[in-house]
Amino acid sequence: MSPENATATEPALRLELRDIVKSYGGVRAIRHADFAVRPGTVHALVGENGAGKSTLIKIIAGAERADAGSIVFDGVASTIASTADAIKLGVQTVYQEPQLFPELSVAENVFVGREIKRGLRIDWTAQADHMHELLNTVGLPDRIATVPVGSLSIAEQQQVSIAKALAGEATVLILDEPSAILTDSEIDVLFAVIRRLTASGVAVIYISHRLDELFRIADVVTVMRDGRTITTEPIGELSVRQIAELMVGGVVSESRPAQGETAGEIVLELDALSGADTFRNVSLTVRSGEIVGLYGLVGSGAGDIASVVYGIDRASSGRMLLSGEPVTIHSASKARRLGIHLLPANRSAQGSFSFQSIAFNITAGELKLLSRLPGWVTRRRERDIAREFIDRLAVKTPSQSSPLSSMSGGNAQKVVLARQLVKRPRLLVLVEPTQGVDVGAKEEIHRIISRLADEGTAVLVVTSDLGEVLRISDRILVVRDGEITAEFRPDATQVEILAAASGAESDPTKESA
Amino acid sequence: MSVDQAGASAPAVRATARRILPPPVTGQELVLVGVIVVLWVLLGLFTPAFLSAGSIRPLLVSVAPIALIGVGMTFIIITAGIDVSVGGAIMLCAVVTAKSLVDFDLALPLAIALSIGLGLLLGLLNGVLIAYGRVHAIIITFGTANIFQFLALRVFGSSTVNGIPGTFDVFGRGEAGRTFGVPHSFLITIVIVAVAWWYLRHTSGGRNLFAIGGNAQAARLAGIAVQPRILAAYALTGALVGLAACFFIAAGTSTLDQAVGSGRELAVIAAVVIGGTSILGGRGSVIGTLLGAILVQTVTSGVTQLGWPSQLANLFVGVFIIIAVGTDLLRQRARKAS
Repeated sequence: MSPENATATEPALRLELRDIVKSYGGVRAIRHADFAVRPGTVHALVGENGAGKSTLIKIIAGAERADAGSIVFDGVASTIASTADAIKLGVQTVYQEPQLFPELSVAENVFVGREIKRGLRIDWTAQADHMHELLNTVGLPDRIATVPVGSLSIAEQQQVSIAKALAGEATVLILDEPSAILTDSEIDVLFAVIRRLTASGVAVIYISHRLDELFRIADVVTVMRDGRTITTEPIGELSVRQIAELMVGGVVSESRPAQGETAGEIVLELDALSGADTFRNVSLTVRSGEIVGLYGLVGSGAGDIASVVYGIDRASSGRMLLSGEPVTIHSASKARRLGIHLLPANRSAQGSFSFQSIAFNITAGELKLLSRLPGWVTRRRERDIAREFIDRLAVKTPSQSSPLSSMSGGNAQKVVLARQLVKRPRLLVLVEPTQGVDVGAKEEIHRIISRLADEGTAVLVVTSDLGEVLRISDRILVVRDGEITAEFRPDATQVEILAAASGAESDPTKESA
Repeated sequence: MSVDQAGASAPAVRATARRILPPPVTGQELVLVGVIVVLWVLLGLFTPAFLSAGSIRPLLVSVAPIALIGVGMTFIIITAGIDVSVGGAIMLCAVVTAKSLVDFDLALPLAIALSIGLGLLLGLLNGVLIAYGRVHAIIITFGTANIFQFLALRVFGSSTVNGIPGTFDVFGRGEAGRTFGVPHSFLITIVIVAVAWWYLRHTSGGRNLFAIGGNAQAARLAGIAVQPRILAAYALTGALVGLAACFFIAAGTSTLDQAVGSGRELAVIAAVVIGGTSILGGRGSVIGTLLGAILVQTVTSGVTQLGWPSQLANLFVGVFIIIAVGTDLLRQRARKAS
């Protein structure tokens, strides 16, 4: 892992991409990229959303073909025209969204497309044998082999994705933001797996938005910006701040966004609220102009509190008061009428209409604003509102009629956020607002949230991102096992908060293998 | 987390293999067997003639073409597709084959080859349009259903096809159509169901169909040739339609009327869905489809034998479909909730 070692016994290149160019329609996704990985190393690939990382990965994985440039594999010029070609070379990819088959068992998922055969038929015995080994490698118990993937947690699904990638002969393993959906202890497990793989000579390409974690796992880092590979350096030569600067091409301000100084009257009050076996006895208040951060690890119940506030799930006991009035919310439309807006965590499932235009996505839910006659949507109003928000949020898009599915994660999130802002809400509930979003977009989203609070909105942010909760909250409540266990001011340290969230037995600085 | 499996012994590995193998029959299939047995016993109690060979045999003959096409339909629905053109395709294959029998007095193997060949062609047409045209299967097959029907009616002219020679009597209800008392068409169907069951369970081609229906994008990224597999499923269904058309010709008495095949697509889809194949794709079985076909035909024939109005059969089949689909949806929701 140390840089001296890497230079002393520098192995030959496993995979080299030279002068890669790729356009989609008229948009240049990659202007010029050079990229080379060595066996037994972890090569981090970073860049803002839209910098070209995903495209470069797709070209290596065979999901897209480059317009120009060459690919050299183990010293031999190669063509990767399809995913099957890539897999034949041993290039295995774990995509950001697990590419799995929910109806099939873990064992079947792992071997799809790479079945071990004897004659015509699948050799189930050989697969079972290999399965045991693979589950061991990724740290899953044997009994999970027969479980349908659809019933696993996201973290487990990702471990299955890695097992799947390793089922074939892996020479290059691409991990596209594997840590985005994982909790810290799950990341430790992931890193242990990666170290085991590099020790056996696999080249790992690692994409992440969490720059700090690169220093724990990566050997080399390549920074992309505006479709170009800007620099490739051993990780030890750079600092987080330097990498961030290279990514955005300028100096990143570290100052916190202004915080709501003068909180107004209480907007939301939860009084001993309990959900159906998700959380218990939760009492909290959010004042007008205040940003309250609800921090909890995945599965803590923090997200479930938000679901009840918004009327997606129902409380089993306790009261919820809005500006002092007890309210019962049984539907999202009632929540909206009361001025409560939600930015959901899983934006692709709950928050967006991916094939519809950006304008449609911004104005969906606020169609009344668009109409002069009831039920009549004015296209021009839709366009005007969309344009205003695209400008306000600095959304990068070729046109407001482009479908949301054509945008990068950070920009799509801004669009979904924009929808909540069309009518300035009384209470805004955000769940994981910057999950899978790059540094620049994250800052902008935080700025928007702060501005809304300054304008008097009460904001409740549910997040499992420690840096985020510290940066934007006026008050931090920690949720553990369905209960609020601690409250902090924003000057608390990360260690204090993490300890409260994960229980006394956990030590966040520990590296478990 | 068993450390003791590290040096996994041969029996241990075999045991694990059994565990990761997809189960040979599903719970839903056992439930279906139970429902069929109960129905048969009840029908036997109320109409004693029901459990006689003279009543069971025609039932099996009527099950054969539905289950046969159902095998292909199961493959298609597993890939999250559908084919509503099989009714029209039966009609076209049957009328062309029947006419050829009348006009050219084809020998049996040639007649079968003609019908299967034509069906294969129709299936390939559907498959190419769906796999490579990337239009939803229901749209394409709805279109081709109408085209097939138009062509078939043109071949019919304005009348039935009369004077069909007894070439297909080996598939008929008569003495020539059975061995050891079992109808040939049903035997052929059983063999094809068995082969299809083995294919779906034990070959990568079969397992990949489930993968495609579960998540086509993920299947493509896993290196599966998605489009050829989808094309093959429709082609197979077409070929089976061709064979089933021979059974339909054999079922008539030297005439073929224009109602042949009409509405059969719904009977086939009903059999597949009742058999536990998820209409959303990714899950299904041909044994279930065979049982579904037997259930559907039992209800139809039972209603007739009890002397009830025949529309009641539709009611019962409808209820079974809703129960089957409902169970599937509840199962999926339960899984999402966990």
